Amino acid sequence: MIEINGLAKKFPVESPKKLSEQERKDPRLRGRHFHSVKDVSFHCEEGQVLGLLGPNGAGKTTTLRILSTALKPDKGEVSINGHNVLSDPTIARRKIGFLSSSTGLYGRLTGRENITYVGKLHGLGDSEVASRIADMADLLDMHSFLDRRAENFSSGMKQKVSIARAVIHQPELVILDEPTTGLDIMATSTVMAFIRRLKEKGTPVIFSTHHLDEVQELCDRVSVINVGETVFDGTLAQFSSLSDGRMHDSFLKTLNQTSDEEVSNVVNL
Amino acid sequence: MWLIFKKEFTELLRDKKTIMFMIVLPVLLFPLIIGVTVFFTSMAVDKAENKVLNFAVVGKQYAPDIYQSMVQETDKFNEVTLPENADYATLINNETVDFVLEIPETFNPDILNSGQHTLTLYLNDAGLNKVRSRVGEVVDKYAKEYQVAAFSTLGMDEAQQNALLDPVIIERENIADDREVWGERLGGMLPYFIFFLCLQGAMAPASDLGAGEKERGTLETLLISPMERYKVVLGKFFTIGAAGVICALITVTSMAVWGLLISQGMAIEFVADIMAMVGIADFVLIFLMLVPVVAIFASVLLSLSIYARSFKEAQSYMGALMMVVIFPVLIAMMPGVELKGGWIWVPLTNVALAMKELLKGTMDYFALFGIFASTLAIAVAMLTFCVYWFNKEKVLFR
Repeated sequence: MIEINGLAKKFPVESPKKLSEQERKDPRLRGRHFHSVKDVSFHCEEGQVLGLLGPNGAGKTTTLRILSTALKPDKGEVSINGHNVLSDPTIARRKIGFLSSSTGLYGRLTGRENITYVGKLHGLGDSEVASRIADMADLLDMHSFLDRRAENFSSGMKQKVSIARAVIHQPELVILDEPTTGLDIMATSTVMAFIRRLKEKGTPVIFSTHHLDEVQELCDRVSVINVGETVFDGTLAQFSSLSDGRMHDSFLKTLNQTSDEEVSNVVNL
Repeated sequence: MWLIFKKEFTELLRDKKTIMFMIVLPVLLFPLIIGVTVFFTSMAVDKAENKVLNFAVVGKQYAPDIYQSMVQETDKFNEVTLPENADYATLINNETVDFVLEIPETFNPDILNSGQHTLTLYLNDAGLNKVRSRVGEVVDKYAKEYQVAAFSTLGMDEAQQNALLDPVIIERENIADDREVWGERLGGMLPYFIFFLCLQGAMAPASDLGAGEKERGTLETLLISPMERYKVVLGKFFTIGAAGVICALITVTSMAVWGLLISQGMAIEFVADIMAMVGIADFVLIFLMLVPVVAIFASVLLSLSIYARSFKEAQSYMGALMMVVIFPVLIAMMPGVELKGGWIWVPLTNVALAMKELLKGTMDYFALFGIFASTLAIAVAMLTFCVYWFNKEKVLFR
């Protein structure tokens, strides 16, 4: 079980004068600090998929970066199966597989070398890495490009290799930050199938997305973050029932907005 | 740590840009520079030596021997008749004549009675030319004849002639051996060259290993791996250091090899003499002195690179660093700066001076140990800072 309680994280603002008008109006900007995450809490059981929703800039990526141990929170607790992630991040890193939204590959290495490198960073042996890559090449349909240099990969190829790289060490928790953004339909369905398979194997998955159809198809739980705070945390059924099964309206409701207000915001932009 | 080193080095060797800077450029650029310079210089010298010089002698009737010599050497000189009241400067500048030799009417071969004579040579001496030496060859021959005739008239023997010409001679007995002389001449340049090359070779990989990781979005993958941060830093640090040393070695070797090939026999003898004088042990010591210096460079470059948001930003920081690093090495090249007193404790300057002393064969090995230890201490401090820097969120996620 993964538990996140009361996470908070602020970042120093190097030059407040350079911020845009909109950024200056953000209530999270206090003095020379931007409180990206103020109070985020949610949990996810074994074999569950949790969809992390929220508008752009809500604090989803910061939350996932804290979960992955890339960032240290100022406040709050994170535990994976009872293990405190923050007190011993090195051990936690062996349990976590993380795909960041801005993830990149080493262009001068082949797809296989990219995955092997991370596998070895996790202490896996040559034969173990090779057999796991072979399995994932089947699952993610990577055989045709696995031994080509990554510098010429398409977005879909890159994302498949990045996902394989994130789970090569068979983590206890998989965190995916917008894994289908920018992918074509075929690549998206491969990624979706892969998440489904992780779920079947009992691996909990936390993924952030803007696609509510993906949430409806894959998720058991939903957590919504807005302006750095958790505004909804519950099952998919609870989320869906907020607006009689209309996912889009449910999402807006958690943000205290209606469809009309959303349209009005867009028009005002 | 070695896993990271191996991966970084593999990537480095597959990077065309790095290969260009680290191997191709040093191997091809120096021979190209040396070759082109030697080719054009020798062409220009050859042309100046063999050119038929257009000349005019004013007052030729006062020194007919000299004038006739020039006229007869038609493969070297060509007489041009000057108009009345000619402006020599204009004629020389518009290349009507290459020189004008003016002989005074008082000129007389009997120098005992007439005294010393001054011939005026008008020429444009701004570019490469051999006018002075070629005219000198003709005039000096006759000057010597006039001198011998004068001594003969005075009835002086050869010893008296020599005493009169050079009453006091200082005979130099240089107690410095050849090694010390050559070490003094080359020793200042060598560290400057090597330091510069080490830094240059390390810059491209350093930019890629820090700022490049940020720009590509691969840094996060590394940060969330179970590998301890200090091992990540060490892996990158060794890659950058190795690149710097390899670049310097390739460049120096390239220069030596191509220098031998281009200048042939003379350089072979010269280089062989230097090698025989210095000895392997001193070369090894020079290399060992370089190790902590490269470590300092690698740590600082990696710290700058990891701070930068982009490859471009990293390159601009490193350009400024180049000036900072080269300054203490330039100090070591200044006259009067020796490995004594306070200079022993000036970082980088002391290593440059120590390298010079090693080449000269006058190194105090006890001082060498101190310099090595102090430079190593600075390198360790820089590396420690780099590890600390690599743990700062403010730096990693700027």
